[in-house]
Amino acid sequence: MSVKLDPRTKLYMIFVVSAVVMMSATTPFLWAVRITMTMIPILLLIMEKHYAAAFRFLILYAAALIVTFRFLSESSKGFLAAFLVGYCSIIVQFMPAMITAWYVVRTTKIGEFVCAMQKMHIPDGITISLAVVMRFFPTIKEEYTSIRDAMKMRGIMLGGGNAAGIIEYRMIPLLFSCVNIGDELSAAAVTRGLGGKVKRTSVQELKMSVADYLLMLLFTAALGVFVVFKYIK
Amino acid sequence: MMQTIAQINNVTHRYKGAAENSLDGVSLTIQKGETILLCGASGSGKTSVIRLLNGLIPHYYHGDMTGDVTVKGLDIAKTQLYELAGIVGTVFQNPRSQFFSVDTDGEIVFGPENIGLAPDEIKARKEAIAKQMNLDKLLGRSLFALSGGEKQRIACASVAALLPEIILLDEPSSNLDMQAISMLHDIIRGWKKQGKTIIISEHRLWYLKDIADRVIYMDKGRIAREWRGKEFAELSEVETRQLGLRPTSINEHYLALLSDKDDVKFKQEQFFDGIMLKDFYFSYHHKPYLLRRKQFSVADGDALSLCIPELILPKGKVTAVIGSNGTGKSTFLRCICGLEKDCTGVIVANGKEYKKRQRIGFSYMVMQDVNHQLFTDSVEKEVLLSMKEKDVNRCHEILDTLGLLGYKDTHPMALSGGQKQRVAIASAIAAGAELLLFDEPTSGLDYAHMKKVGELLRQLAEAGSTVLVSTHDPEFIEQCCDHTLRIKNGRAVSFEAWNDQDRNSIR
Repeated sequence: MSVKLDPRTKLYMIFVVSAVVMMSATTPFLWAVRITMTMIPILLLIMEKHYAAAFRFLILYAAALIVTFRFLSESSKGFLAAFLVGYCSIIVQFMPAMITAWYVVRTTKIGEFVCAMQKMHIPDGITISLAVVMRFFPTIKEEYTSIRDAMKMRGIMLGGGNAAGIIEYRMIPLLFSCVNIGDELSAAAVTRGLGGKVKRTSVQELKMSVADYLLMLLFTAALGVFVVFKYIK
Repeated sequence: MMQTIAQINNVTHRYKGAAENSLDGVSLTIQKGETILLCGASGSGKTSVIRLLNGLIPHYYHGDMTGDVTVKGLDIAKTQLYELAGIVGTVFQNPRSQFFSVDTDGEIVFGPENIGLAPDEIKARKEAIAKQMNLDKLLGRSLFALSGGEKQRIACASVAALLPEIILLDEPSSNLDMQAISMLHDIIRGWKKQGKTIIISEHRLWYLKDIADRVIYMDKGRIAREWRGKEFAELSEVETRQLGLRPTSINEHYLALLSDKDDVKFKQEQFFDGIMLKDFYFSYHHKPYLLRRKQFSVADGDALSLCIPELILPKGKVTAVIGSNGTGKSTFLRCICGLEKDCTGVIVANGKEYKKRQRIGFSYMVMQDVNHQLFTDSVEKEVLLSMKEKDVNRCHEILDTLGLLGYKDTHPMALSGGQKQRVAIASAIAAGAELLLFDEPTSGLDYAHMKKVGELLRQLAEAGSTVLVSTHDPEFIEQCCDHTLRIKNGRAVSFEAWNDQDRNSIR
């Protein structure tokens, strides 16, 4: 089974989840809401067949939750406990946003994204820049992998006796090649008519489905609950 | 009745910050439906001519320019780039940096979407193009998962989707194997039949000789010679060599060698002094165990992307690794030098065994994109970085043999492509590697540079290094290789000696 969500729903999900992670959950009910919200993108990832990622997120999040609730309390002392508290609370607090963002980036095609932004009447300038950023993630990853390979070959993974080298040797070639690729990429894009005065069209047909409305409703409700508990109650 | 479609009128151009003119009084009249081949050494101005016609000069690459260019009645200087999009299409050299989308469908429709066509028409065009160019298998795929040849086909399709009358190709075959080149050849011939005007800048000439109507030879920013297509095809090897061009034909023998012929029963020759590779198994499609990765063995059979139980490489020789794109040549090289951690092969040389990490010290791979392997701010430091014990004298010695001593304080990124490659080779020598691996070192090089690389590899082999080089380049194999090793589906299928006698006998 696969649910194809509209990019607008996905963006809305990111928005709500990011807002919610900034508000603290104080009661078991709020925790339940938040955990449910985290499970949704994990489920969606499973439906899109990103099993490994879903599994990893699930384990990490569950482990952090269990450690926080079962083994740590205000009276925990010592270095390990302090370290764990810091580590786990960051994961428990912010992991939901990360999972959602990962889901959105991994499952949205650039064409769909551009079309959704157009339907929301976002100016082309902003849409195209964001699309380029999305397009660049895999490129950066590819470049970074080959730079790391070259470093391994040179035996300078640890900076070659130069602590600053650890960063320097990775970043400088990466920046050089990203600048070059970016330059060639935009040259290629303008020869194919990007940046014209004509209104861009899109072959993507986006239609909100029942699942979209349902999810939006669910996330709005969750946001509502958090806002009510924080500001009104 | 001939009809002029584009005209370059006495153009002189210099890139911003450059010391010399890239174009020097170039005039060219292009007729509708003509196919023109631009040839000449790197830096002779071929790419600049392409950029004049698609408007990237002067609109994207700034500089000083005199003279004017008209394409289909439009004065390029006064025409915006997006207005040219439906008239001139360009296929670039590097597939990696010409894709805007991450999926094939999105890429093909990108141009038509930009010029604001109606969605139904775009879809109709996409289907027509896919049918015409036989792309059914490539639709709906991720661009990052395609081979070089497949990427270039998608690039051609996405340009064709705009239905331009003029199609420019800038060294389109640089990263392609024989099979992909013949596919590219068919695409270009198809366009020619449709009456498109085609201008190709290229180093590899043999695949274009039956397509080009006119051949233009550029030298130092000027148009130096011009031939009709037929005259050009008849030029002898001596003549093309004098012009610094690659030959206009390749010997049948190489064609057979480089295209995927039938399996030959692999027979290992015994070498008096060799480097033995043992148990090289590897697969990209493996199911990782949760904690420990699986180790591959010959029992994995067909699932293996690389399966080389035993292979002996002759020491102090240059061996070419051949086979089509995506058949495991790069994987093979990566496994030898220990970049693929899951491959547990052992290298046996000088009576010693090199396992796992030791393989990195024993072997060294010079990658295709040299920009990725230069890390410091001077050539000297770059070489010293590779040395365990920093020895400035030895460093200068190495730089001297490679003709780089004069550049020892230059920033590596400020060097030319060929010089960068030599710096990378210098680092390899400094690292003390005995087995040097090269991944397609001559793709996109003109004849003179290719020859230089060939001489360099010979020099390395004569100094005692063992060189293994993956390549599609017949002229390069002829120039410098002692043996050819064919890889097919990750298996070594043949290993042949390649000596002067053979070279002469096929002439």
